[in-house]
Amino acid sequence: MLRSRATLLAAAALALGAGAGCGRSGESARTASSQAVPAASVVDTPQVTPASSQAVLAAVKAPGAQVVLLNVWATWCVPCREEFPDLMRVGKEYRDRGLRVVLLSADFGETVSDVPGFLAQHGVDFPSYLRGSDEDDQAFVNGIDPRWSGAMPATWVFDGSGQVRAFWEGRADHARFEQAVLAVLDSTPQATEARP
Amino acid sequence: MNLHSPLRTPLHLLAGAALFAVIGVAGGPLSPAHAQEEVATPIALGTAIPMADTKLKNVDGKELAIADVKGKKGTLVVFTCNHCPWAKAWETRIVDLGNKFSTKGVGVIAINANDPEAYPEDDFAGTQERAKQRGMKYPYVIDETSDVARAFGASRTPEAFVFDAGGKLVYHGAIDDNSREPDKVSARYLNDALLAVSSGKKVAVAETKAMGCSIKYRKKA
Repeated sequence: MLRSRATLLAAAALALGAGAGCGRSGESARTASSQAVPAASVVDTPQVTPASSQAVLAAVKAPGAQVVLLNVWATWCVPCREEFPDLMRVGKEYRDRGLRVVLLSADFGETVSDVPGFLAQHGVDFPSYLRGSDEDDQAFVNGIDPRWSGAMPATWVFDGSGQVRAFWEGRADHARFEQAVLAVLDSTPQATEARP
Repeated sequence: MNLHSPLRTPLHLLAGAALFAVIGVAGGPLSPAHAQEEVATPIALGTAIPMADTKLKNVDGKELAIADVKGKKGTLVVFTCNHCPWAKAWETRIVDLGNKFSTKGVGVIAINANDPEAYPEDDFAGTQERAKQRGMKYPYVIDETSDVARAFGASRTPEAFVFDAGGKLVYHGAIDDNSREPDKVSARYLNDALLAVSSGKKVAVAETKAMGCSIKYRKKA
């Protein structure tokens, strides 16, 4: 099982690396950032899609969630790795109450191939995003939020109507994520209703 | 790459208190109970060089203050580090600019404020090695308390601050507009700011942004 999973992850890494490697140019880069790249055709490896800032925000604001946590991270970012298990825990604990977690990896170059494995290792079983290459750095940062300095990790909490309710840079813990989620859920009238 | 593998640095998980900067909250009664506040608010344009007289350990082992490298025409202070992929991606360009403008009346100093407990590559030996490897002809110093970074409000690497001949901040932000693909740079922000400063002109684009690695401040004593 371990061997087979490792092989699948390696395949996933190759697929992602081929589709989303940085330093690409011209048409191929545009294609990479506008199409989904399935990490692998296995259920236990998350889909990672190169995306523009607007595509990420569209995923955040897609209907169906009561509250959304958007987290920007990278495989080599220590505080991002430190907070990741807490983020995932809160994601699972509040999924049934309408929490959607949107993950945006800022990995580029050779670390892009580490992304699917990291996500799988942390039990990410939903599609996530990789920063695409169509926008320059400043356009991307400001496209996500003009208040963001560009440092990571960075976390936003949106309510179900797509309004930003909280934003911070730096590492958080389980209590911090939970409190931010509850602040939205508890102020949303329909938050306690059962979801389909 | 290996150093960044999520599986190979378990010691990092033991790193100390969270750096937690609450930048803004709209709505929602969020108590600060979990926010071990370290707000990185960058100094505003026009601000004098913070902690300019604080001695910092240079890669040659000597103590050096920003005031010691201040140039007649201006001063570039760049917060950078050794481990960060963005700092690495921009490193050649930073060194080229630093080496070039340090011969044109601009004082140049690179500062590594990262806690090496979190990022071992950012220790003194790693910093010495990097300065040598990259041929930096200007000081690359260690901010051993991270207090200089705090005073600047520097939050990420790399992050540049350019001061004019009078020691007032005239540029803050990114190196250029494309960290990942040097051949696709269309706006050379730092170069343009340094050109303006070294020729006594006004900096046209004074504030820019880019993605970067959060500076992991050392714990307060």
